[in-house]
Amino acid sequence: MLEVRQLEFAYTADEPRMHFELAVAEGEVLSLIGPSGSGKSTLLNLIAGFLEQQGGSILLDGIAIDALPVEARPVSIVFQQYNLFPHLDVHTNVALGIDPALHHSAAQAKAVDGALDRLGLAGLERRKPGELSGGQQQRVALARVLVRRRKILLLDEAFAALGPAQRAEMIGLVRQLVEEQRMAALLVSHQPRDALIASARTAFVSDGRIVTLQDTRRLLDETQLVEVREYLGSI
Amino acid sequence: MNPRALPAGLVLGLLAILVVAPLAGLLSLGGLQLNDPRELQFWHSAYIQRVLVFSLWQALLSTICSVLPAILVARSLALQPVFPLRALLLRLFALPLVVPSVVAVMAMVSVYGAGGWIPLGRSLYGINGILLAHVFFNLPLAVRLLLPYWQAIPRHHWQLAAQLGMNAGQRWRLLEWPALREGLPGVLLLVFMLCLVSFAVVLTLGGGPRSTTLEVAIYQSLRFDFNPSRAVALALLQLALCVVVATLTQRLQRLPEVEIGLDPAPVGIRPVFSTFNLVLIALAAIYVGMPLLSMLIDALSGPWFEVLTETRLWQSIANTLIIGLSAALLSVAAGWFLLRYSASLAFEGRGLAARWIELAGSVVYVVPPLVIGTGMFVLLSSWADVFGWVYPIVIAVNALMGLPFVIRCLGPPMRQNHARYERLCRSLALAGWNRFRYLEWPLLRRPLGLAAGLVAALAMGDLGVIALFGTPESATLSLLIYQQLGAYLVSEATVTALMLLGVCLAAFWLLERGIGGGDRA
Amino acid sequence: MNLKPRRMTAALTALLLSFAAPAAQPTLTVYTYDSFTSDWGPGPKVKQAFEARCDCELELVGLEDGVSILNRIRLEGENTRADLLLGIDTNLTAEARATGLFEAHGITFDNSTLPRPWRDELFLPYDYGYFAFVYNRERLDEPPMSLHQLVDDNNGPTLLIQDPRTSTPGLGLLLWVRKVYGDRAGEAWAKLAPRIVTVSKGWSEAYGLFLKGEADMVLSYTTSPAYHMIAENDSRFAAARFEEGHYQQIEVAGMLAGSGQKRLARDFLRFMVSEEFQQIIPTTNWMFPAALANSKLPAEFSQLVDPSPSLLFDDEEVMKRRGAWIDEWLEVMSR
Repeated sequence: MLEVRQLEFAYTADEPRMHFELAVAEGEVLSLIGPSGSGKSTLLNLIAGFLEQQGGSILLDGIAIDALPVEARPVSIVFQQYNLFPHLDVHTNVALGIDPALHHSAAQAKAVDGALDRLGLAGLERRKPGELSGGQQQRVALARVLVRRRKILLLDEAFAALGPAQRAEMIGLVRQLVEEQRMAALLVSHQPRDALIASARTAFVSDGRIVTLQDTRRLLDETQLVEVREYLGSI
Repeated sequence: MNPRALPAGLVLGLLAILVVAPLAGLLSLGGLQLNDPRELQFWHSAYIQRVLVFSLWQALLSTICSVLPAILVARSLALQPVFPLRALLLRLFALPLVVPSVVAVMAMVSVYGAGGWIPLGRSLYGINGILLAHVFFNLPLAVRLLLPYWQAIPRHHWQLAAQLGMNAGQRWRLLEWPALREGLPGVLLLVFMLCLVSFAVVLTLGGGPRSTTLEVAIYQSLRFDFNPSRAVALALLQLALCVVVATLTQRLQRLPEVEIGLDPAPVGIRPVFSTFNLVLIALAAIYVGMPLLSMLIDALSGPWFEVLTETRLWQSIANTLIIGLSAALLSVAAGWFLLRYSASLAFEGRGLAARWIELAGSVVYVVPPLVIGTGMFVLLSSWADVFGWVYPIVIAVNALMGLPFVIRCLGPPMRQNHARYERLCRSLALAGWNRFRYLEWPLLRRPLGLAAGLVAALAMGDLGVIALFGTPESATLSLLIYQQLGAYLVSEATVTALMLLGVCLAAFWLLERGIGGGDRA
Repeated sequence: MNLKPRRMTAALTALLLSFAAPAAQPTLTVYTYDSFTSDWGPGPKVKQAFEARCDCELELVGLEDGVSILNRIRLEGENTRADLLLGIDTNLTAEARATGLFEAHGITFDNSTLPRPWRDELFLPYDYGYFAFVYNRERLDEPPMSLHQLVDDNNGPTLLIQDPRTSTPGLGLLLWVRKVYGDRAGEAWAKLAPRIVTVSKGWSEAYGLFLKGEADMVLSYTTSPAYHMIAENDSRFAAARFEEGHYQQIEVAGMLAGSGQKRLARDFLRFMVSEEFQQIIPTTNWMFPAALANSKLPAEFSQLVDPSPSLLFDDEEVMKRRGAWIDEWLEVMSR
């Protein structure tokens, strides 16, 4: 399980520090919602290792991972765009997740095919990303996550460009994968509805800190916190 | 019809007038003389074959020796976090363009000559000297032209590469090289052209007549032999060579298949100071800096007080600035209209037409200014007082010479911009001045500033065009330097050369700040 | 020798006078080379002196060099606005004559100080010089005393020369070797070649490299040391005197047949061979005046080497044979 303890970060010395504290269980997808600039993506970047924290720690199953370099962290991340290399075909894009040198054993090659199959991309192995729809591209990214078999999955507004039905489908897919693989996942989204589909628990992030972390439905429907209500508007 | 075709057509028409008309004018003097036995003998002689082969060979070798290291240096600069004086270093890299060839030769000798800091003795005079000088001129230029391609790689790709555990080689193969492929052929062509027409450097540092290039042959046939048709034929041959090289380098090129981000952040991953990168950058800085430093030292020990108090100097500085800035603006404007059209052509899938337009704009560089200028005299002298037209002609020809630089700097970002925003603009009916003001200006300022700076540097250091017209009042700094050198005033000339460097640096700073809007490079 | 205040006053006076003078002042246009019109050349003083006596305006148009001047006139043909051409040398006079654009000057030139009597009716000389190899006394104590010695000595001094295809001194050296060696010039060049450090595009590059110490000797003029002595107070430089003699370069002026100011042009030509013009030449053009007695030259000029016998090809022969001679030179030097 993923734990973020007293994590502190600020981009420059003048800014007030952000402060994060949360825990995600195995098999759980925790949603992060909140206004733009509140620090959601920053938190994901800290966990992935793209930014270096100034205080606190990140632990997976009790072991600190925050001192590890990016490539050694047990993390997979899916962005909103630019997840795939446009000049490489689908198969290669996924295979990069196993070994960036693209040296594969037969078993690994089968794993790639299996992942593509699992995500409904069979037959598209030789296509280039430019030839796929947005939804298909994100599936390819998820196929890569699958072959990497890392314990932590981060989704940074990964489905923002998709329509509501597709989004629901993708989030369902993510939940399945997360449960099967016993991953701990964080989903950042601008759509509170996504949180409803994805997570039992949701955190509201604002101004560089987690304002509240509670049951998703209670947060969205019944919260009395002013910030949250202002953000949610009238749903 | 595409509304952009008209201004582009005008620019192309102007190009034709500036190039084709003078050539035709020269031909009209003597006819094509294809039947003259002496002419045929010349074209079949071992001499011209040797000249052709040598011209090609030294240009190709110089190009490789300049661009390959430039790729490494640009990569190091891109991957390194911002260090102090980085902006200054990049600006310094634009200076070699402005140094007149005779001054550059002296600077090379100061550093690598028998009495220099790294004495090479007589082995300097040969292909070594040619390469040393060409790398000095072209490596920094290539670095500045290639650097933006790293900055075009989306931040997420860098992050992914880090997460997937790619090593440097894989990153190069999967991220950097594909991004570079778009611009590399253009840079190769530009450097090739610059090396092909480099005249005084090749002759003087080349050690002797073995190092004769086509330019020398053109010079000789037009001046001493007064054989205009042969000069035209040679110029056309040179032109043809470049077209061939251009088509060959095009094979390397890959236009981006998916829109590439215009993300200004250099690299998204935590940048780490790498010794290798730093050493490489330092080596490049030293290599480019040494000749410049030698010029500075020579000048400081010269009669700088006397030179500075000469009114002629300040008049020359003013002339130089006027010519440089005007040529820069004219060139950038012409290039802008050309590229807007070629960008829309590329977007509509007519990539080949787009490439030919850009090629036309670039390749005219190799038609020697001597030929153009002489041809213009033939055309204009019968009905106009040519001397009244000195400034406009000099500015126009320099703008023409600067066009390939504009195309290199501005072409790819313009194409990307167009691909990204064309549909949006059409749906919003955002066009013309508003589109320029709100969309194109903010997004394209930086390459515009760089292009303007490079053309200004080129024009300010130019000697070939202005020397043709020589009226005493229109002296520019480079002409002044040449006059001083011809009058035994060598130390004065070094001081004036330093002034030229300073003026160029100032103009570059002005254009990069004013147009380009800031230091982030 | 600071003439700046005098020049300023002169300029100011000229400016004021130009307002006072009647509007229609004839202009005499002279095409000449750059170094003539530059601030340090004879141009400013010549202009001042001539305008003071002619009641006209003298327009000096500075073109790159002698070759450019001739080519410009060829290109402009009869439409040229030049009245006079000043600054081609005797290597080009035959070609200039062949254009048919020049008219006889009609001036009796009887105060010539040239070594040979002047016979050309189309062109009038104003100065001349001799080519020589210049060296630094501190670097070379025993310079060669003849061309043969320079050529034959395999361990002789290293040389910087100019390309005859692009430079007048370069062509001068070519003709010099040809004059001394005749048809065996090719062999001489072959023997010289290993000691030639480089062949530069023009005089400036070669001389600049020489001053930086790249070679022992540079092809220049016998008057080069005079510059260093007079302007820089530096007597380290000297020219090597060759027994066979030195090749001569005579610079001339000519009047265009299409000129609309022939009377003025002839006035200028007369002025050109008069003492007033001639004494400007030595310390501005660094050549020997064609019509000034030796006694009137600056003292340092007498310290220069004696170039006699002076060697010169007839200009028609240069025009005919130059191409072939250059080709032979190219062939030898490219081996």
